[in-house]
Amino acid sequence: MLRTVKLNAGYKELHILFDVDAEMEKNKITAVVGPNGSGKSTLLKSIFGLATIHSGKVFFNGGEITKYPPHARTKMGIAYLPQTDNVFANLTVEENLRIAAYTVDKDEVKDRINTALDIFPELERFMKRKAGTLSGGERQMLAMATALVRKANVLMLDEPTAQLAPKFAELIFDRVVKLRDDLKLTILLVEQNVQRALEISDDAYLLVSGRVAFSGKANDLLEHEKFEKLCMGILD
Amino acid sequence: MSVIEGAIVYSNLLVLLSVGLTLTYITTAVPNFAQGSFAVFGSYISLTLLRLYNLHPYYSLPFTFVLGGLLGLTVYLLMLRPLIKREASVVILMISTLALDLILLGIIGSYSDSLAQFTHKSASRFIFTPYDFNLAGLSAILLVSSLVIFLSLFGLFLLLYKTRFGVALRASMENPDLAEVMGVNVEYTRLFSWFLSGALAAMAGTLLPFRQEIVPSTGAIIIVSIFAASIVGGLANINGALLGGYIIGFSESFLTYNLSAILGTGILLYSKVISLVVLVIVLILAPRGITGVNWRRVLWKKSSSQ
Ligand SMILES: Nc1ncnc2c1ncn2[C@@H]1O[C@H](COP(=O)(O)OP(=O)(O)OP(=O)(O)O)[C@@H](O)[C@H]1O
Ligand SMILES: [Mg+2]
Repeated sequence: MLRTVKLNAGYKELHILFDVDAEMEKNKITAVVGPNGSGKSTLLKSIFGLATIHSGKVFFNGGEITKYPPHARTKMGIAYLPQTDNVFANLTVEENLRIAAYTVDKDEVKDRINTALDIFPELERFMKRKAGTLSGGERQMLAMATALVRKANVLMLDEPTAQLAPKFAELIFDRVVKLRDDLKLTILLVEQNVQRALEISDDAYLLVSGRVAFSGKANDLLEHEKFEKLCMGILD
Repeated sequence: MSVIEGAIVYSNLLVLLSVGLTLTYITTAVPNFAQGSFAVFGSYISLTLLRLYNLHPYYSLPFTFVLGGLLGLTVYLLMLRPLIKREASVVILMISTLALDLILLGIIGSYSDSLAQFTHKSASRFIFTPYDFNLAGLSAILLVSSLVIFLSLFGLFLLLYKTRFGVALRASMENPDLAEVMGVNVEYTRLFSWFLSGALAAMAGTLLPFRQEIVPSTGAIIIVSIFAASIVGGLANINGALLGGYIIGFSESFLTYNLSAILGTGILLYSKVISLVVLVIVLILAPRGITGVNWRRVLWKKSSSQ
């Protein structure tokens, strides 16, 4: 469904990712885990066209999209939830949801926003407030809601549970599984909560210093004898 | 025209110019030093239509709007976009607009010579005041410039707050990457800003000769006030241009008038110094301009210290 081939990427001259080969299979959850600064977010940004690609290719549904502008990728059905700066602070919650539905057909916008609000009913109280005045957790819920408003078949989530209370984090994990099972979405999930992420995922990649240190079944990584060490970035 | 009328007219035009300057600065990070010459371009279009077709300058506003917009668009597409694509720094972009200003000056200068030869009337300096008239006891330019500014700002407001494209435009101004993530083609918002900036500037150029004499190099002088207005208001905020335009416009008009009463009319030559002094004072007090100040915090501090 979504695949990177020998991807070398970073920010301008800065080289962060080295020869990353990764593949997200249709209707599966693929977890990307790794220590802080290992390049997880950079991988998502380069798949979406927001980082500098030095060499390598990105494929979506068999076609190459390496050089496409980001907005074109959204239109093709890839939704991406960035880790930081993922809502417009100066726009109201309602406007944030409306702009998230930018690529959705006019008559469907209301429906999709309502569906997202069903999942995060808390947001309804804040519709007219500027997103910049929301608390960290509320903002994260809004960000997640904007990802759901977009019509996508691939969802790339960069730490969707960051800043959320455990109860809400659990709700998001549940919801992610539902998105795979009920809506048949393909999901790429970056998470700090490695244990929970791997439990719900089918496949997994471990990134260490910009290189793939493990790739395979999520369960195999979870039960790997050196699991703890691997996750801290200790390879031997 | 009374001093206050003159000040309002001048401020209205300054706002038209600095709104465009701020808009293109926010969306493309280009500090456009040719904004003044965009205005003079508009003045010459109106002059041409007046001399060749005897069209009253007020009626040439729609033409200058469109042609000015096309000028802005052309400048962006031919010069700035290729530079931005190559990741040019803000300094390079600034210098390129300075170069553009010189090019425009050259073109406008030689055009004014050709126009003069063709019509046998001087075009290297001109003024429209003889074409103005009185309406209900007020000079028409006061009403026209106020109407133009009102319609432009009201239109811009409706666009920004009531349309889908407007929400996308505000989103792109705040965070272009995230706007792209949402599926907005941010390039459209850049094209739009350059068109609008050129169009508003050229309209200001049509009206400016009703207040002061125009020469091909007028742009290089007025640019000082335009930048002062945008920076005083705050370059990060469109509303800042509105506020800054009136502050600079009024201080320039009134202070020069009052000073000339004391020091003689020689001071008129240095009226731009006033813009710069206001600019310096505001920047010392509020480095990000007036709209960059967190007023709620300032007021809270004040009330809590009492
Ligand atoms: N915009 C940027 N410009 C320059 N360097 C950057 C930029 N964003 C990230 N980096 C650097 O790239 C490296 C990888 O960052 P990245 O955000 O991909 O890590 P991560 O695995 O997502 O970490 P975390 O778990 O903390 O989110 C880091 O060293 C970081 O400092
Ligand atoms: Mg990250």
